[in-house]
Amino acid sequence: MKVLAIARNTFRENIRDKILYNLILFALLMILSSFVLGQLTLGYENKVIVDLGLSSISVFGTLIAIFVGIGLVYKELERRTVYALLAKPVHRWEFILGKYVGLLFTLFVNVAVMTAGLGLVLAYHGGVPLLSFLRLLPAVYLIFLSLALTTAVALVFSAFSTPALSALFTFFLWIIGHFNSELLEFARLTKSAAAEFVATILYYVLPNISNFTVADSRNVIQSAAYFEPIHAAAVGWATVYAVLYCTVLLGLTTTIFSRRDFK
Amino acid sequence: MKPRSSPWVQGKWLLGATCLIAALLVKPVQDRIDARLHRASIDPDILYFSSPAALKALAVGYDSLLADVYWMRAIQYYGRRAEAARRQVKYKNLPALLDIITTLDAKMLDVYRAGSTFLAEPDPVGAGEPMEAVRLLDKGISQLPEEWRLWFDKGFVYFWYLGDFRKAGEVWLGACRVAGTPPWMEPLAARALSQGGAIETAKDLWRRQLEGSTREDIKENARNHLASIQVDEDIWTLEFFVEKYAAAHGAFPARLEELVHAGFLNYVPKDPSGMAYQYDPTTAAVRLSAESKVHYLALPYNYREAFKERLARLYESSRQQKK
Repeated sequence: MKVLAIARNTFRENIRDKILYNLILFALLMILSSFVLGQLTLGYENKVIVDLGLSSISVFGTLIAIFVGIGLVYKELERRTVYALLAKPVHRWEFILGKYVGLLFTLFVNVAVMTAGLGLVLAYHGGVPLLSFLRLLPAVYLIFLSLALTTAVALVFSAFSTPALSALFTFFLWIIGHFNSELLEFARLTKSAAAEFVATILYYVLPNISNFTVADSRNVIQSAAYFEPIHAAAVGWATVYAVLYCTVLLGLTTTIFSRRDFK
Repeated sequence: MKPRSSPWVQGKWLLGATCLIAALLVKPVQDRIDARLHRASIDPDILYFSSPAALKALAVGYDSLLADVYWMRAIQYYGRRAEAARRQVKYKNLPALLDIITTLDAKMLDVYRAGSTFLAEPDPVGAGEPMEAVRLLDKGISQLPEEWRLWFDKGFVYFWYLGDFRKAGEVWLGACRVAGTPPWMEPLAARALSQGGAIETAKDLWRRQLEGSTREDIKENARNHLASIQVDEDIWTLEFFVEKYAAAHGAFPARLEELVHAGFLNYVPKDPSGMAYQYDPTTAAVRLSAESKVHYLALPYNYREAFKERLARLYESSRQQKK
């Protein structure tokens, strides 16, 4: 209950944030512009709309996850509202989990708004049956999972660093997360056992964002743009990965946050 | 004082245990996701910018570093044999990669030299694109006109991989005008122009590659070619004398050692790795042993008949002398 109360307040706080509205507005404009761009192509109009629409959801969702995520804990500390909150019988892990769930819900609403915008553009353009549109939803869900993971990464940094540095660290990890498989390739190629060991460890320790952008060796957005189904098992394993990784990150955030002295 | 088993302590332990279990499960889950990826992978190939000039502009001053990175990528691309075997065209992107490197840094001599070998060597060693090798070396010569080795390599590609001995001779003759070219270049050019195709010239060229190169992969390639030439000549010699033995005794020898007992040979040669050649007395075929360590590379042109004719002349003249 305490977690839900904190989550509800976090959500309310987030939706008052101007940056959030700006980002959603940009995303919706991008999705709408896909309709105009779709007119410029020869064939593949719906593909252009879906490509631009899902990419906008992913890019602007990531920006929201980073820019709102990094301020979650820091803002509470800066405004000293955390003192009042932690004076109450609220555990620190409840505070962290509540903040995280609140931001996840914010992201969920944003992604839903952007997906609805994409759906409207596709419906206006026509030629996409409802069943085909439903095939976009697994791709949207995988994008949402990547946002959940990015938020958890941002939260870890938010617990001990300034927003600027947190944004930088999260952004770098997000980039690395897309090229993680190169680390494994390096581990296979290197002739040094120590380098192979380190590269393999890093491969598992660093967040693997490509788990959500590539399903069964096919780019998720590309599959969606052709309205091809994404295998349920691939979505399932990506979900399990996201849950496990986010649990570890939330545990880490709680540990860091528990060690902070607010006296 | 708070008892140690308070709900707060229990909660902390529960949280810690949950996180630990989640952390331990990340690896097996990631492995399951990877297993799904590798199963569907069919044509792994390299990612590169198709316009070297655009990449140079994007390098924002770090051209030299980017050239190093691309050179490492090219080496990996060429060196990963198992991965190359899974591609429909093994090294289709190699010319583009080498073009990118030499656009980013035009002074990398090894890229022109080793790259031309990678391009010119036929499958399975290289891309089997000798004309791409010539193009790369031409680019190198235009950037490093004082470098005689590039002229030598270009002539070598014409001589060995394209079988155009006259063109090879002309290129080597051109190299003689470059300052610092060693004195053996002129006779080499003359020999190619006058006796084009002589295997002795080829052997000489491979020996120069072996002795003159600083790169181990180039030396290894030269060693393999010299060993392959020796294997071919040994096999043709053995087959020649097996035929002579059959003509004299009415049947093929049961073992190659019988050629020595019959006085045709002083000893039975072994391959360059020290293994005996395999001989089939029913067909009289001689071949490299399956256990041989020689990395055999087929010759781009066949001089078997010419070699056997020369051998027959030598054999007849030695018989005349004995009489």
